[in-house]
Amino acid sequence: MIHNQTIIKERPAPSSSVGAVAWLRANLFNGPINTIFTLIGLYVLYFLVVPTVQWAFLNADWIGTTRDDCSREGACWVFINARFTQFIYGLYPREEIWRANIVFAGFFTLIAWLAIPRLPFKRWVAVFALVGFPIVAYVLLHGGYFDLPRVSTHRWGGLMLTLLLATVGMVGALPIGIVLALGRRSDMPIVKSFCVVFIEFWRGVPLITVLFMASVMLPLFLPSEMNVDRLVRALIGLTLFQSAYMAEVIRGGLQAIPKGQEEAAAALGMTYWKRMGLIVLPQALKMMIPGIVNTFISLFKDTTLVMIIGLFDLLGIVQAALADSRWLGFSLEGYVFAAFMFWIFCFSMSRYSQYLERKLHTGHKR
Amino acid sequence: MTQAATNISDTSTSDTSTSDLMVEMRGVNKWYGDFHVLRDIDLEVKRGERIVVCGPSGSGKSTLIRCINHLEEHQQGDIVVGGVPLTQDVKRIEQIRRSVGMVFQHFNLFPHLTVLENCCVAPMWVQKKSRREAEEMAMQYLERVRIAEQALKYPGQLSGGQQQRVAIARSLCMHPDVMLFDEPTSALDPEMIKEVLDVMVELANEGMTMLCVTHEMGFAKTVADRVIFMDQGQIIEENAPEPFFNNPQSERTQLFLSQILGH
Repeated sequence: MIHNQTIIKERPAPSSSVGAVAWLRANLFNGPINTIFTLIGLYVLYFLVVPTVQWAFLNADWIGTTRDDCSREGACWVFINARFTQFIYGLYPREEIWRANIVFAGFFTLIAWLAIPRLPFKRWVAVFALVGFPIVAYVLLHGGYFDLPRVSTHRWGGLMLTLLLATVGMVGALPIGIVLALGRRSDMPIVKSFCVVFIEFWRGVPLITVLFMASVMLPLFLPSEMNVDRLVRALIGLTLFQSAYMAEVIRGGLQAIPKGQEEAAAALGMTYWKRMGLIVLPQALKMMIPGIVNTFISLFKDTTLVMIIGLFDLLGIVQAALADSRWLGFSLEGYVFAAFMFWIFCFSMSRYSQYLERKLHTGHKR
Repeated sequence: MTQAATNISDTSTSDTSTSDLMVEMRGVNKWYGDFHVLRDIDLEVKRGERIVVCGPSGSGKSTLIRCINHLEEHQQGDIVVGGVPLTQDVKRIEQIRRSVGMVFQHFNLFPHLTVLENCCVAPMWVQKKSRREAEEMAMQYLERVRIAEQALKYPGQLSGGQQQRVAIARSLCMHPDVMLFDEPTSALDPEMIKEVLDVMVELANEGMTMLCVTHEMGFAKTVADRVIFMDQGQIIEENAPEPFFNNPQSERTQLFLSQILGH
């Protein structure tokens, strides 16, 4: 029995099921409960957004140089404006700021180059970013070479210091974390116990304690002629602390890789490091991107704790500025600014990790 | 029914005297904790020989062939592969593994690499071949297992039968002297078993030395030189396929054959 010999022509969907009104009805008002939630949501949104916009934009003061320019009841961004250079560079000497600017430019260029897939020579750029750039950045920021005046690290601060701490921490913590995670899974008892003790020690201690010990206790143990820079000590403490967290994240990823993968690699005659480097780690790290980025984000925010050993990162320098008697009473603006800067960096990392996950997904199931 | 009993007093001097022997196992024993998985295994595989290992599940067949490339460690006895005695020495284990191909029940392809990269990764990183050389050779083998047109896909995009053929090609790219198959068709849907078996038959006809754990008795009848029956960690019976299937000697073999052929 044949039902229909003529082909039915395509017809547009009924107007009640397409368009904005239909979407609203289907998603926001498709029942009494949903309608109530929608209305409550709109109400809350209204009472949050309107005053915020009024405070931050409509009633805010933007232009000026002193607090007398802040006459309206909204935010006084003049304060941020006046202190902006300090927030970004800390106490870095004004006439040397061009050096920090070059480093900033190089830093963001390299990151963009590595992140944008269309750009070529990725491998060489990565090598330069990890080997060449740190040297260039050190020479420029610290000076003392090529007639550049020395700028000692206690004058470094602001966003520059935050980025420095976070970048060095991330770049250092990832490889150390990988090695620790592999070590913890090792068959060799000594290696394994060392890694377990290391990880559990650093994970069990608060970061503040680590930083405090690095700055106060460490010099007591070191010979007095050995004077390790305070910033370097903070960097080491931060890196080791985060590498312990990283190790546990990566160990979780390693455990999720089926045993057959390593067996297949072994059966092809690969050595341990090739099995790990070519087969197991690429799969584990891919699965661990959310966890790794999560650790990176928490590291980025943890850098604010260096305040307690007298380093002025972005938040520290903002707080210091709040104590300025000429600018008393603008702490809200200061903290909103600091929060916004942190949010921008953390949110970018989060978005990039989502993009990476999608890009690296090769449609495999296990 | 030849239980080999030639004694070699010193395995390290066996390099020259046993050049026609691909795999030798003498008095091999293995335990998982207290569980005695392999009991006094003696086995010789000559170059070019095709051997099928069968037996009920848990009889130690997979463990037996996994001991040959040291994916499992045996605690007693000697194993010599291609004249190289298998010891604890990592370098030597890797040397043996380079000459022993292995195909797994669950394929174990590398999901993050394309089919072509799966085949190239070991030749490039273990044998230090150039990318071009490795890719050319990989394409040849992929052609032979009739899957060359899928070379740029990822394993997750292929069917089980296709994946297993890629796994065979991946092993062949290392030019192994002997191939181990660990139940290569057990995880496949019925309609895909033939395409994999066809490739294995071709390989056998080209003279590859093969040790194959399988329940495919048709395959055993057509290609095997010898069929080995294992039960409870022991080699119970070993014979050419024709007498093995038509006239099994031991009771356990008879029972096993009646169970898998009789339905």
